[in-house]
Amino acid sequence: MKRKLRPTTRKSFVTYAIVTAAFIFVEILVSSGSASNMFKGLLVPFCVYSIAAVSLNLTVGILGELSLGQAGFMCIGAYSSAIFSCAVKDTITSPWVRFPIAMLLGGLVAAVFGILIGIPVLRLRGDYLAIVTLAFGEIIKNVLAALFIGSDSKGLHFSLTSQGDLGLEPDGKMIINGALGISGTPKDSTFEIGFVVLMLTLIVLYNFINSRTGRAVMSIRDNRIAAESIGLNITKYKLITFGLTAFLGGVAGSLFSHNLAVLQASKFDYNLSILILVFVVLGGIGSIRGSVIAAVVLTYLPEVLRSINNYRMLIYSIVLIVMMIFTSNATIRGFFAANLAKLKGIVSKDKTAVKEGN
Amino acid sequence: MGFLDNLINGISLGSIYAVIALGYTLVYGIAKMLNFAHGDVIMVGGYVIFTLMTSLHMNPYLSVIAAMIACTILGITIEKVAYKPLRQATSLSVLITAIGVSYFLQNMALLIFGEKPVTFTSVISLPKITLFDGQIVIKSETTAAIVASVIIVVGLSLFVNKTKSGRAMLAVSEDKDAAQLMGVNVNRTISLTFAIGSGLAAVAGALLCSTYPVLSNTTGAMPGIKAFVAAVFGGIGSIPGAMIGGLLIGVIEILGRAYISPQLADAIVFAVLIIVLMVKPTGILGKKVSEKV
Amino acid sequence: MALLEVKKLGISFGGLRAVDEFSISIEKGELYGLIGPNGAGKTTIFNLLTGVYKPTDGTITLDGVNLTGKSTIEINKAGIARTFQNIRLFSNLSVIDNVKAGLSNNYRYSAATGIFRLPKYFKVEKEMNEKAMELLKVFDLDKEAELPASGLPYGKQRKLEIARALATEPKLLLLDEPAAGMNPNETAELMNTIRQVRDDFDMTVLLIEHDMSLVSGICERLSVLNFGQLLRQGKTAEVLSDPEVITAYLGE
Repeated sequence: MKRKLRPTTRKSFVTYAIVTAAFIFVEILVSSGSASNMFKGLLVPFCVYSIAAVSLNLTVGILGELSLGQAGFMCIGAYSSAIFSCAVKDTITSPWVRFPIAMLLGGLVAAVFGILIGIPVLRLRGDYLAIVTLAFGEIIKNVLAALFIGSDSKGLHFSLTSQGDLGLEPDGKMIINGALGISGTPKDSTFEIGFVVLMLTLIVLYNFINSRTGRAVMSIRDNRIAAESIGLNITKYKLITFGLTAFLGGVAGSLFSHNLAVLQASKFDYNLSILILVFVVLGGIGSIRGSVIAAVVLTYLPEVLRSINNYRMLIYSIVLIVMMIFTSNATIRGFFAANLAKLKGIVSKDKTAVKEGN
Repeated sequence: MGFLDNLINGISLGSIYAVIALGYTLVYGIAKMLNFAHGDVIMVGGYVIFTLMTSLHMNPYLSVIAAMIACTILGITIEKVAYKPLRQATSLSVLITAIGVSYFLQNMALLIFGEKPVTFTSVISLPKITLFDGQIVIKSETTAAIVASVIIVVGLSLFVNKTKSGRAMLAVSEDKDAAQLMGVNVNRTISLTFAIGSGLAAVAGALLCSTYPVLSNTTGAMPGIKAFVAAVFGGIGSIPGAMIGGLLIGVIEILGRAYISPQLADAIVFAVLIIVLMVKPTGILGKKVSEKV
Repeated sequence: MALLEVKKLGISFGGLRAVDEFSISIEKGELYGLIGPNGAGKTTIFNLLTGVYKPTDGTITLDGVNLTGKSTIEINKAGIARTFQNIRLFSNLSVIDNVKAGLSNNYRYSAATGIFRLPKYFKVEKEMNEKAMELLKVFDLDKEAELPASGLPYGKQRKLEIARALATEPKLLLLDEPAAGMNPNETAELMNTIRQVRDDFDMTVLLIEHDMSLVSGICERLSVLNFGQLLRQGKTAEVLSDPEVITAYLGE
């Protein structure tokens, strides 16, 4: 007899299958030469934004706390991994060794920041948490944009004012050049690696959600007071979740920085955090699969619409408002639900289970 | 530049933040939503004034009044079209909608006025004040910002505490359902709040663009966020809190720029916010709320 | 020695004395009732016992351990679990996951074990599933195990809350109006379940209830609270026939 899978397990396997199928499809497109250059250029960003979105969904959908600081964690991951790769690219020449270490490092540094910022900040709730995480992201961006690091025979030199202030020897080498950022990061990111990292991210997230820890986190989301009454340590679980979100955000940032010729902190402003939050919300809060689909579709659409460049962001904003009103207004939703039920004669059971992480 | 000059500039910028923060704080207090588009209403106000003054050669003060009317109408429309259908929705849905409205306004302005920033002509034509034999010069824009913010804070406090509509606003901010049961027209009160907030945004637009005379479609975004920071800083929902928060943020930003690092001024402002919220999670003048078990 | 020993417990909110000089002593295995008119301070006492509020005066001792001023989390770990007057389930989780959340502190494996699906994950999860199903069976909820908790009818939601509380393996179970909103049949069934819980799990139960049929049916002793103060304490039948108690309930 066939072993019956639990619904949560089935959901995760469907997602893995969809992502793998999409990957194979794209590989065929590319190798048969039918993919445009624009499309090929978007492949790594698809993975970057998907990873950033699913990991943010962990905080927003599973923990139920609003964060507008995802760009900050991506920025930390991007910078620390790029610095590492620049520093070792002459010693470790194989990208197969160098890049995984760089990504792991990027993730870990971001996670450390995530936990450090999480300890004071996670006491705050709702909109307060949103504004503080936004503030955190902006601090990271501003500090890194003002940072100069160079190295010469005497070691590393730091400055927050200018390149000249470093006092480098003539043969010294710039690592971070203030607002101009980091150039010369090896282009280690490929779509194939991006796909593997995305799959690993999905596995980590689904396993996390369907574990004792994930259950505790969702309990806290659903009812904090009841969660305390059964002895769940709220702070600990919040920190684990926030740290994991930061870690994966940092990994996404590492993938991002190794895809760019020049890495600048200004790319990681609050608009990027908002963009990723939009992926999460439109994909369905708490839905891992939805985040991936939304990230890919919403990264692709604006590029396709480039021909109507002036109008595309306007259209995007209108779509956003209309989508939110249609999905959140009780009357409109009730109207659609009632008519759908009439049409199909059934009410989908999935609707109620959405938040469990499909 | 001496310390006093910097301090005066800080107070000037802080007064502008305070006017914006008041709009934020009113809307947050009553509609319990983070109106991300508030900063962009400032930008719209700026463009209305700019257009009226350059194309129609209208009197600056009349332009400001026209901009206030335009922004008031805009604010009410935004509330009716985008926010009202979401009264019962989660705060996250409302936030995303507000972000959508913000993008909409920015890109509408981009379509109409183009990417290139325009140079704004100051609407203020008062004489400057010179003190200590020219040691300190207070620009007319500075005087105007300070005077305007004080008048607005006092006026708003009186309005909220002394008039029927103002008390209705207080009632709705305390408990929407209870206010409804007591005969307060909640929808009208929320509309009124958006009207006042947006009207103030136009004033803030006039002051901001007169002091920093470059206007583009994203002019309002950062000041909007900093003003929200100011409102949170002072204790969101509190009118005096918004004033105190605005002034502090303005002064910290200008002094940070002058004495620490121009690139890091924003980072310092945001770091101070985080520190304040760590010590006092509801801001300087905020009220403590606890959940009933 | 009594399992729960509360001495001269008191709390003030602003100037209001919500609970004053409340003392109670509950023996192991007892079914104890806390009754009183609305607003008498019954739920406040539960909130004090579970650390939601910190008492201004008095002491709480459970099984010889002083719990006064401890946090909700510490108190649960020390052995007090509760249900809520207004049901507080993890509404988006399935019925079984609600119970498994309650098992979290007694069936442990690290977050990393869960993420990497180490052997310990499968072993502990299996134990948790078995234990959770066992608890659900007691409350006749085993058939609904995979349904979302919010999809349960009201009476079953109350039962699930009790199952979740029991999952934390408490020494003392606090039930806040367990029969609220139930019809007489459901209440009768609930009475049997509570008795069964006491017998099978060797549990001590303190419950707040307005339904006098339940109180007189299962409680062995009662405390009556009025205006935050103890009015009467003793054997159920004696307390309920006390004229003062009747007056407090029915008014003049």
